[in-house]
Amino acid sequence: MDALVRELMPYVGRVCGAIALDRGDDAMQETFIAVLRNLGSLREPAALHGWVRRIAVRESIRVARGGREDPVDPATLVSNTVAPVDVATVVDVRTILAGLAPEQRAILVLRDVDGLSETEAAGLLGVAEGTVKSRLHRARSAFIRRWEP
Amino acid sequence: MSDLGRRWPVAEFGPIARARALGASLPSAAWTEGILDAPYDTAWPWIADLEVSVPRFDTQVRKVRVLERAPVVGAQRLRITASTFGIAFPFDVRLEDGFCLMQARARLYLVLMAAEPHDGGTRTRFFHLEAVPLPGTRLLRGYLQRVVDADFRNLARLAARGF
Repeated sequence: MDALVRELMPYVGRVCGAIALDRGDDAMQETFIAVLRNLGSLREPAALHGWVRRIAVRESIRVARGGREDPVDPATLVSNTVAPVDVATVVDVRTILAGLAPEQRAILVLRDVDGLSETEAAGLLGVAEGTVKSRLHRARSAFIRRWEP
Repeated sequence: MSDLGRRWPVAEFGPIARARALGASLPSAAWTEGILDAPYDTAWPWIADLEVSVPRFDTQVRKVRVLERAPVVGAQRLRITASTFGIAFPFDVRLEDGFCLMQARARLYLVLMAAEPHDGGTRTRFFHLEAVPLPGTRLLRGYLQRVVDADFRNLARLAARGF
């Protein structure tokens, strides 16, 4: 069990850190508890990575949203409360990400970091492909707007 | 991974979170967690010296002998025996900074200890778990809970006295 945890730690840390941000450590702990408790239900060892990814994304969104699991209105996904970023001095990725909803951060992680297709990301998140497209568009727009001077 | 991906925040998984997650997967696991009134830099090296520490705070263990010690990436692997009730039980141990996993060779018993600096390192958060990692052992949990609670009280007393 511990060897599996050590093997998965870097990947799960990236997913949980990027989606749950300051609560990434909690999300990581919840992810591993869910993984280890349910490992016996995994029929196909080759599916381990995708299964862990699904759990890590779900737990990160849940923890980032304070334990609430009710769906959010896509129209409210872009927060206007993020502080302006001084990209001339430091590109604070965490601050930029904090201006996005957890669901948007999940889409960015799955598409731009993990390289999943929109279809795969939609399947993992349990939403329609069109929802992934619109969330991704909003997330990328918000990210690029704040990233670039 | 893109340059953007490399710059994203990464969550940390400290020794105690790792120990908690492992414990949550074991039905019979009993654990306790608390603060030792000793600096981490003092407490962990003492705890990690298993031949000295375990017989002092674990009333069930008379003697620990380290038979073999080998470095691996980020850790040491130890082969030890822990003598209980006059019998020397062999254990495989993975020892890291703040993390110690001891598994009986026959996989009949598991001991986990984890520690992290607390209050800026002036005190130590300590986690201790014991389990019988076999199916149908949930009923042992009450007994194991008394064991780990007693071990923690002993360790806390030793820490307060400077070991």
